[in-house]
Amino acid sequence: MLQFLINGLITGVLYSLLAIGFALVYNTTKVFHIAASAVYVVAAYMFYTFASVLGMPLPLACLLSVIVTMFVNWGTEVVIYRPLKRRKASLNVMMIASIGLMTILVNVIAMFYGNETKVIDNVIQKTYTFGELIFTTPQMYQLVIGSVVMILFMLVLAFSRYGLRLRALSADETLFETLGYNTNGTRSGVFVLSGAFIALASCLTVYDVGLDPHMGMNVLINAMVAMIIGGVGRFGTCILGGVLLGVLQAVVVYLFASNWQNAITFVGLILFLFFRPQGIAGYKQRTV
Amino acid sequence: MEYILHIVIMICIYMVLVLSANLPVGMANLLTMCQAAFYGIGAYIGTFFLMQFDLPFILLAILVMGFTGLFSMIVSYASVKLKNDYFILGTLGFQMIAYTILYNWTDVTRGPYGIPGIPTIKLFGIVELEGVVGYCVLALAVAIVSIWLFRMIKSSPFGRVLKAMRSDELSVRALGRNTTLLKVQTFFISAAFSGLAGLIYSSYVSYVDPTSFTLDESIFIITALFIGGIGNVKGPVLGAVFVVILPELLRFVGLPDAVAANLRQIIYGVALVVVMFVRPQGLLGENSK
Amino acid sequence: MILNLKHIELSFTNSSREVFNLLNGVDLAVPKGKITALVGGNGTGKTTLFNVISGFQRDYKGKVVFEGKDIAGKSAHKIARLGIGRLFQGRQLMGNLTILENMMVASESRAGESPFTLLFHPQKITRKEEEKKNKAIQIFKDLFGEDCKYLEMLDCKASDLSYGEQRLIAIARLLMNAETKLLLLDEPTAGVNPVYIETIRNMIRKMVKERGLSVLLIEHNMHFVREIADCCAYLDDGVIEKFGTTSQVLDDKEVRNSYLGL
Repeated sequence: MLQFLINGLITGVLYSLLAIGFALVYNTTKVFHIAASAVYVVAAYMFYTFASVLGMPLPLACLLSVIVTMFVNWGTEVVIYRPLKRRKASLNVMMIASIGLMTILVNVIAMFYGNETKVIDNVIQKTYTFGELIFTTPQMYQLVIGSVVMILFMLVLAFSRYGLRLRALSADETLFETLGYNTNGTRSGVFVLSGAFIALASCLTVYDVGLDPHMGMNVLINAMVAMIIGGVGRFGTCILGGVLLGVLQAVVVYLFASNWQNAITFVGLILFLFFRPQGIAGYKQRTV
Repeated sequence: MEYILHIVIMICIYMVLVLSANLPVGMANLLTMCQAAFYGIGAYIGTFFLMQFDLPFILLAILVMGFTGLFSMIVSYASVKLKNDYFILGTLGFQMIAYTILYNWTDVTRGPYGIPGIPTIKLFGIVELEGVVGYCVLALAVAIVSIWLFRMIKSSPFGRVLKAMRSDELSVRALGRNTTLLKVQTFFISAAFSGLAGLIYSSYVSYVDPTSFTLDESIFIITALFIGGIGNVKGPVLGAVFVVILPELLRFVGLPDAVAANLRQIIYGVALVVVMFVRPQGLLGENSK
Repeated sequence: MILNLKHIELSFTNSSREVFNLLNGVDLAVPKGKITALVGGNGTGKTTLFNVISGFQRDYKGKVVFEGKDIAGKSAHKIARLGIGRLFQGRQLMGNLTILENMMVASESRAGESPFTLLFHPQKITRKEEEKKNKAIQIFKDLFGEDCKYLEMLDCKASDLSYGEQRLIAIARLLMNAETKLLLLDEPTAGVNPVYIETIRNMIRKMVKERGLSVLLIEHNMHFVREIADCCAYLDDGVIEKFGTTSQVLDDKEVRNSYLGL
């Protein structure tokens, strides 16, 4: 049982990373960045290319993948969202365009690399044992790197003015610009940072379980659920929601069977949406 | 010849699906991501009735539409409680739950194995539909009735209130309109017609399995709708024709199957992005401003 | 009295999770066939009080009695059908509808607005639609004169009109519902130019005089209030601090000090 919980916790850390990547864009620009699922896939295939095809050491491959993905994610903003915003397109229109972009990216990847599942590293992994708990090497990486990055991010948000600027941008873009800040620049920064989180989540995951071109949507939806459960509007809540979702799913797998995991996840989502849309950590606001 | 008739049948099925998606999405501005769930529910309910009873088509259609419509209550409830992105997420959740249940409830749906050997539809309880030709006639008839009905809805007072609700729900309520009821009716009709499409599909291919009713299928229907155009009847009709014909055209070009499938998706994606830039309401859609 | 509010209480939780009472026991009686103004500072809960009356805010304590019936807890559309028309603050017409459609969607007759009746009563619906159209034309003629320009513009999109004109039509639209007896007007003149303010004043007077409607309106334009309102209620600290004739209230020392800043 404890092993299940720990596995759930580690999955949860991965959800949290991706949830932060999604929430960075969603909280500040209100864009429903569905194409993030395709960006996630791109990151995975970059990692695969650098590590398995070109034979680079894994840390370097991961770093390169993160850098490339930052550019790709920034590209989605420059090519799709920014021009649409300039045309005063509604958020729904942006979302539909995002779906289109997702379809394009995923299928371009599938055309080049094929639809089948690939693995990064075939070597049997060393395991670590703590008492009765067993960790595989990828799991250790996921837990340690994921936690460290998220803690650093939260510290930066808490002790710099960057977090404040993101909040200001999300409150009113026109006013933000009028006050002399660079809206496009800040938005670009958000997308670049978001790309880093998406790529990190992707690399850490596919190192463990392999990759295929159509895996992105399912992972992204879990990340969105994590964001909702935690509470929309802030970033720390993504960590809370992600870990909670991971553990919840582990418990479901332990008690029932893994094939009901998705159903339980979404029943959870819908219950949250209906009865506590502000998430665990949110509060009810005055709405008139 | 059979090949062409097959394409006509698929166009008709998708026309009904896209038209029924257009009612909430295009007319009432309630973006749903679960049209494929209703399509699937209709297909499975239809399969059940076809296997268990010997019913004339009209009765069968009414039963399937009614039961599928009942499932729409969940989405209606969500549309009352949830706004914008939250509503989209809610419908996405419903889609995933419906799919998981169809996939995993093996005692009833046989899960991934699917249900083979679904009987053909009987028109008046006696006349069995003869092969592709019969289904083509039936599908055409259903598509024409749907087009007529959705066109009537669009120009009716009901369509007018939906349009009003799209732009200002609060004022519509203050003018004495029950928006909850309007949403319930909208989703009921939408789900019922999606279910009808499911019934025709399942009986036509005489086999159902859950993989035809995934989130990807929902996204596919929305894609067709937004390429064709939202808010009227022309748009969805064009969208359905486009998404069904395109793969067949690519087949004539002679691409290998693996590439063709991906290329087709890429074209859909590009078309969707381009349309969002050039005409956000879709090629033949109605300008809402 | 057409409307009686009895001890309305309502509280909110703010962003620091403190509970504060917005409405603290509001008692108000709105006289029939008169124009009553509701004045008070920003954030004192005037619009919220309108939301309470028209059923958009339902988690309050207290009683709302309209024409002798307690309507507390009823949903917004039911209250509207009982005869309370509401003009929202800052909201315009539905821009994607034509001017005529905007009028027709406000009629008390909902014939054809349920999809299942479309198939069964087409003639009745066509007749009702004709009636609604004629009524809209009649209202325009009554309010804006026999040859007003809106009669030519019935099929124009409402978004083609300026903000002020949309306000005029939105007020006229409230007459489409024959059941309406009480109008709640939330800042009818805000953001409207002086010529249209004049028109709005005449419209409201006409509606009260010729159709016997009662009006409760929120206004920050004190000049307008003095001209049009028979009675005035001053809302402060979540209660009606003063109620009386307009000049009584507006010339009250306390009101002048705390609200008008004179």
